[in-house]
Amino acid sequence: MAKLIGDLSPVYVVGVGYHPYQYASETSYVALGLHAVRQALADAAIPWEEIESSYVANALLGMAVGRPMLRHLGALGKPVVHIENASASGSAAFRHACIEVASGISDVALAVGVDKPPRSGVFRSPTGIPSLADDAIVPFTHFALLTDEYCHAYGVSPEDLALVAVKNHANGARNPNAQRQKERTLEEVLGGKCISGTLTALQCTPVGEGAAAVIVASEAGIKRLGIDPARAIRVASSAAGSEEAGNDLNPDTALSFTTMSRAITEAQLTPGDLDVIELHDAFTVEELLYAEATGICSPGRFIPMLKEGAWNIGGQCAISPSGGLIAMGHPIGPTGIGQIGELTIQLRGEAGARQQPNAKHGLAHMVGVGAVCYVHVLSK
Amino acid sequence: MTSEREALFSVQGTPALPDHPALIGGKCASCGHIFFPFQAYGCEKCGSIAIESIQLSGRGKLICSAQVHMSANPAFPAPYVVGSIQTEDGAVVRAVLSVTADADLVPGTSMITELVPETRPEQGGHDIRFKPAAKEA
Repeated sequence: MAKLIGDLSPVYVVGVGYHPYQYASETSYVALGLHAVRQALADAAIPWEEIESSYVANALLGMAVGRPMLRHLGALGKPVVHIENASASGSAAFRHACIEVASGISDVALAVGVDKPPRSGVFRSPTGIPSLADDAIVPFTHFALLTDEYCHAYGVSPEDLALVAVKNHANGARNPNAQRQKERTLEEVLGGKCISGTLTALQCTPVGEGAAAVIVASEAGIKRLGIDPARAIRVASSAAGSEEAGNDLNPDTALSFTTMSRAITEAQLTPGDLDVIELHDAFTVEELLYAEATGICSPGRFIPMLKEGAWNIGGQCAISPSGGLIAMGHPIGPTGIGQIGELTIQLRGEAGARQQPNAKHGLAHMVGVGAVCYVHVLSK
Repeated sequence: MTSEREALFSVQGTPALPDHPALIGGKCASCGHIFFPFQAYGCEKCGSIAIESIQLSGRGKLICSAQVHMSANPAFPAPYVVGSIQTEDGAVVRAVLSVTADADLVPGTSMITELVPETRPEQGGHDIRFKPAAKEA
């Protein structure tokens, strides 16, 4: 019978590291990635020699970038695999690192995401199937259309949706690893550059560069390496899925609903148990669509509860305390791993100015073009 | 020569709507799934390769719309307006709309196809747009 992560040996996040997300620079991806891995090793207080297997997530750098980066930590002949799954590349790498440890194949594994924006657009090989308007409806316009649909369906205004960006920019201002670290007023968000529909620039993720790394370990690994168990955060569940057949123009939300439900159930929790959530909020409308998909509120209730402060740090459930993709940024490969790092920091109680009080359970969610979806629940 | 884009629609509409271009979709002979655009690789619903090409009505209802302010494609200088439309046959498509930037577009508006000259190179002679059906009156 098929098994869940929770049926296998327990897996814990024991180390977290970042290279701050930033606008494109001349810094090589090697320097970005090494910075994050070394920080994760220092956080776990273990040497590189103890990493038995590495999962390298990226979507934009091209073929086989992992070993040219990791060799500078000491080329020890250990397995390295690359994972590309669009925006969910990092989440996929994390899941497979967890599976390797949960299965007992390794006691300690690394998931590292690193990316830099391409110099000349993202290449996607043609499928041979034509499209009516894909060249006129790029992602920001896809989400502008979903914004219009949501606003009409639930009677909310574009100004209401912009409040999501105000919240996430405020959170990003408290995160030293965020690409955008400046609080923004509603007027600033609405008054920025118009992109598509009612979306303005500050309501859209800035795709930049950066790196994120986490180290996962088994109980045996934690004991053997003398890792502080009080700082080890359990991976309570891992769920993944891909889009089902149909004529749905918003497949990400339907897919997210299914995958989140499986992850929350596998963790033996209810949506109301979640204290911290990191979502794929590349555009403001995504945060409310996916937050509602978790079941923490009914459809159409996100905005009224946002106005009451329910989703702020210190509220019922802190949503995107890192700043989310809107403020922390979305360098693609690192993003899903960065979310796991944020949950770990929150559940340890080490998040400082952006700490959600008494956080015990956190959920991380990413979707990727395709569509694919990954959801992880971490518990203290 | 028929361009890849022109494989998406036929200038001649359906018998019920002959003066408005029809969309060329597919229907799975095994499970009945109707989809757009046409492809013969296999049915997304059941995996069957018994797929037939069908004409889909060029008429439908607007689901949502957006004015694009920042173009990512020189072929579509901003501003322009796009929309999601559910056709009478149940297919859901996204298309460029033939409306002014200040058009009052509300969900449920009846929309219909129209033929427009193609201005992009190597895309054939024509393209289609959706416009509010009320403009017909």
